[in-house]
Amino acid sequence: MPRIITCYKWVKDEADIKVDTSSRQLTLDRVGYKISDYDRNAIEEAVRMQEQHGGSVIAVTVGPPSAKQSLKDALSRGPEEAYFINDPSFAELEPAQTAAILAAVIKGRLEYDLIICGEGSSDLYAQQVGPRLAELLGIPCATYVNKLALEGTRINVERKLDDGIEKISLPLPALVTVLPDINTPRLPGLKQVLAAGKKPVHNIGLKDLGLTCEVTLNTTGILAATMERRRLRFGAGNEDIRKVVDALLKEGVIA
Amino acid sequence: MSGVWVLGERREQTLELLNAGLGLARELGTTVTAFAIQDQGLAKTYIECGADTVYLLGSLAPEQPLEDYVPVIVDVARQKNPDIFLISATPRGKEMAARIAARLGVGLGSECTRLRLDENKSLVMERLMFGGAAVQTVVCLTRPQMATIPPRTFEPAVPLANREGEIIELPAPPAGKVRVLERKPRVQESVDITEARVVVAIGRGVEKQEDIELIQELANVAGGELGCTRPIAEELHWLPENRYLGISGQKIKPDLYIGVGVSGQIQHISGIRDAKVICAINKDENAPIFEAADYGIVGDLYAVVPQLTRELQRVLKK
Amino acid sequence: MDFRLTEEQELLRNSVREFTQQYLEPIAGEIDEEGRYPAEVVAKLAEMDWMGIPYPQEYGGAGADYLSYCIVVEELSRACASTGIILSVHTSLASWPIFQFGTEEQKKKYLVPLCKGEKIGSFCLTEPGAGTDAAAGTTTAVLDGDEYVLNGTKHFITNGPVAGIYIVFAMTDKSKGAKGMSAFIVPREAPGLKVGKHENKMGIRASQTAEIILKDCRIPKENLLGQEGQGYRIAMQTLDGGRIGVAAQALGIAQAALDESVKYSKERVQFGKPISANQAIQWMIANMATDIAAARFLTYYAAWCKDQGLPYSKEAAMAKLFAAETASRHTSKAVQIHGGYGYIKGYKVERLMRDAKITEIYEGTSEVQRMVIAGNLLR
Ligand SMILES: Cc1cc2nc3c(=O)[nH]c(=O)nc-3n(C[C@H](O)[C@H](O)[C@H](O)COP(=O)(O)OP(=O)(O)OC[C@H]3O[C@@H](n4cnc5c(N)ncnc54)[C@H](O)[C@@H]3O)c2cc1C
Ligand SMILES: Cc1cc2nc3c(=O)[nH]c(=O)nc-3n(C[C@H](O)[C@H](O)[C@H](O)COP(=O)(O)OP(=O)(O)OC[C@H]3O[C@@H](n4cnc5c(N)ncnc54)[C@H](O)[C@@H]3O)c2cc1C
Repeated sequence: MPRIITCYKWVKDEADIKVDTSSRQLTLDRVGYKISDYDRNAIEEAVRMQEQHGGSVIAVTVGPPSAKQSLKDALSRGPEEAYFINDPSFAELEPAQTAAILAAVIKGRLEYDLIICGEGSSDLYAQQVGPRLAELLGIPCATYVNKLALEGTRINVERKLDDGIEKISLPLPALVTVLPDINTPRLPGLKQVLAAGKKPVHNIGLKDLGLTCEVTLNTTGILAATMERRRLRFGAGNEDIRKVVDALLKEGVIA
Repeated sequence: MSGVWVLGERREQTLELLNAGLGLARELGTTVTAFAIQDQGLAKTYIECGADTVYLLGSLAPEQPLEDYVPVIVDVARQKNPDIFLISATPRGKEMAARIAARLGVGLGSECTRLRLDENKSLVMERLMFGGAAVQTVVCLTRPQMATIPPRTFEPAVPLANREGEIIELPAPPAGKVRVLERKPRVQESVDITEARVVVAIGRGVEKQEDIELIQELANVAGGELGCTRPIAEELHWLPENRYLGISGQKIKPDLYIGVGVSGQIQHISGIRDAKVICAINKDENAPIFEAADYGIVGDLYAVVPQLTRELQRVLKK
Repeated sequence: MDFRLTEEQELLRNSVREFTQQYLEPIAGEIDEEGRYPAEVVAKLAEMDWMGIPYPQEYGGAGADYLSYCIVVEELSRACASTGIILSVHTSLASWPIFQFGTEEQKKKYLVPLCKGEKIGSFCLTEPGAGTDAAAGTTTAVLDGDEYVLNGTKHFITNGPVAGIYIVFAMTDKSKGAKGMSAFIVPREAPGLKVGKHENKMGIRASQTAEIILKDCRIPKENLLGQEGQGYRIAMQTLDGGRIGVAAQALGIAQAALDESVKYSKERVQFGKPISANQAIQWMIANMATDIAAARFLTYYAAWCKDQGLPYSKEAAMAKLFAAETASRHTSKAVQIHGGYGYIKGYKVERLMRDAKITEIYEGTSEVQRMVIAGNLLR
């Protein structure tokens, strides 16, 4: 019966980001937050594995105190308890710091057979936390997984890579990062939502960790991605189509 | 310090990184070191193409994953202290880079699309975040400064005259805990969408799988290949997965991209941003793709595509 | 005072939004056009525990509050007003009287399958000759041994063709007028119950509305809800709660009209600039947003009163009156903002305008709401 930990990140919803086109500044003051898309697949996979094999699922998140809002959301998706590691300084962590904090919490406090992370987060998408965490815990890992099967004391997985599929086998305890197409996360029902508030949450602060998180990567700027396009509009009439074809010829992109 | 290091999973990626690394090394007045995986011939090629030193990684047993090289690479990196370490952002490359960085306790810029040196000769990296909506600029405060670079970000390095360099063989790594059970290579398609000069992408606006034929005709006349959005490949399975474009799919740089029934969500746009000309056909005049397009045709694709095909046939005399 | 929803209510709203994005938005136009009942979506509503939101878990409900129920009706209606009313009639007109007035046996037998969504509920009050004047009904119920025998025709019955359980109002003693009306639980299988003519409606076309014909329809006498003679009171109290649901439906429709108007007016270019640059358009949008905010407060307040056990008849009437008129007025404005496109099928505002009108009519017309409000004030 696997004891599973699933890690998730509470991120800004990129759909709410507004851009000032002249200054390329992002307006973030009215953005909503969400559980990172890929992490929803991670939580779902953990819960499915528990439904199949029994055991337990713990959700762990690292973030600023405001990420407290994420807990009921995460717990409504199935895990039975949550670890909330928070500090005001955790607002913009880099992947190395997040992994170090997760490792510090997991090492001392949690027994586990399997850790499931999303492939990357939908804000930074650095795809580092999973493999870094595995290294810090000294356990084997498999990234970009789109199928997993528990086989006794091992886990067999399929990785979807750029040159094909690689099936590998890892002894437990192990860590996997999952791809979005591994499953379709279910929407939590209302009873699940109401039950979430009754599940235990363990709050852990920076000072409980005895850890200083060195900055190794400095973000010196964030600007809107530009796309200088002509934005010319045409209708579906013959005349208009002819104009478009003419223009494409002049651009020299068809021949 | 031992200069700029590059590690690519395959030959072409290594050559691209070599090209990037050579530029940086020139500015820094230092050397370039490449890794060659198991193949002496590759090591020689890398030297011809500019590497000063090549570490030849020893052979892996069939059941060993590529990632078993991590401890070996970490060992030399600890001894030699490279200043910059670039790794190709293939899936395996990204895992290895993250694990190497974790072992070395250093920062890593993921999937960087631009590199430059600032006035302090620090590596400044640009990468996309928020699903491609923003560009993040990062600088490593630790050494080596590590970055992963998506394939095809740089042109490959070319052979130079009279090159000499040193090949250093590294020991074969001992077996780790992970065992490869099976490798199923992807059925190689005859065409590589990333090489196509013209790409016609289909989205969910196309109603039935049979209708793809209509779009295929357009692609044929325009001399292009078919691409698609993620749902077409991953949910509907109408086209192979290596045909979908976007932040989590292929990134392309064709001369012409034509989106047909594609809404143009940011995740898709991230993959086509570098197209020279973007053309879009969508019946919803509010579709976000029109914001990202040079030529937007507002109309029903079932009416527009045949017209466009005919018109192209006429002017191209095909 | 706290204007924030609870975390649970926010999560619920998010999940309904995701749900409608996934299952309702893609089909809403089509089922409207075809007048098709979205059975597959209703089955999913049950999986989400939304078919018995404000009822205790021991009866198969979710055990949440009335405000949560409003949020679900609002968000469903924002995508598809038909689905909003299917759920609303089921929850507040059919399930509530059983919950409130039913015996323990009646709750076990009828409320549980309703809450679990195994059966759909409907509410049969209106008759061809008895609309606003519901007490003028001519359907009768006569006790015959251990059974009541029902005769009469109900019409305009939402969920009529798809329901498994009907709350039927009939006269047990005509001489007493309103005080001679009683309420009954009639299962679909009851002999003598027939679904009559289906209505071809202007709006909410995916919700099914039909005649229910009772011809010597026999039901066990235990199916009397409450006491003989309590029927009219049960009907009126049930409608008080139902009106909060209709207010939420109207709110969702109005919100959708605002969403569409904001989007469209920023994109539509005339005279070289988006039409939203014109003050005339801006004012329409500002008025729309303000009325919607007011409608939302009234609606949530009425639901809150109900949750707190406070009187809510007047509050429900105000919420429904204001939300319904807001929906009607502003869906029409939304069509105006869309110009000719708004008048063409396929544009969402065209459907919204047709859907909005009914909220001023059913569960008491706007005139009736004013009568209720005034009646409360002038007592
Ligand atoms: C984390 C994450 C990563 C993602 N990565 C990617 C990625 O890499 N690549 C990717 O593509 N997507 C990706 N997506 C999905 C992306 O957000 C969009 O959902 C997807 O691109 C939409 O695909 P679409 O345009 O085919 O479909 P839709 O958004 O459904 O758009 C269909 C369009 O067709 C138009 N249309 C319909 N009928 C007609 C007609 N008859 N004539 C003309 N037009 C018509 C409609 O107006 C509409 O605009 C990702 C999503 C997430 C959350
Ligand atoms: C789509 C739809 C679904 C419905 N679903 C149901 C259902 O599920 N169950 C059910 O029982 N009924 C249902 N109804 C019936 C609905 O509640 C009635 O139509 C409504 O109560 C009005 O009754 P009426 O149509 O007979 O109009 P009338 O009562 O004839 O009213 C006509 C007009 O006169 C006005 N009026 C009437 N009396 C007065 C007065 N005293 N003072 C001032 N003005 C007055 C009304 O406000 C209205 O403007 C539904 C109706 C429709 C159209």
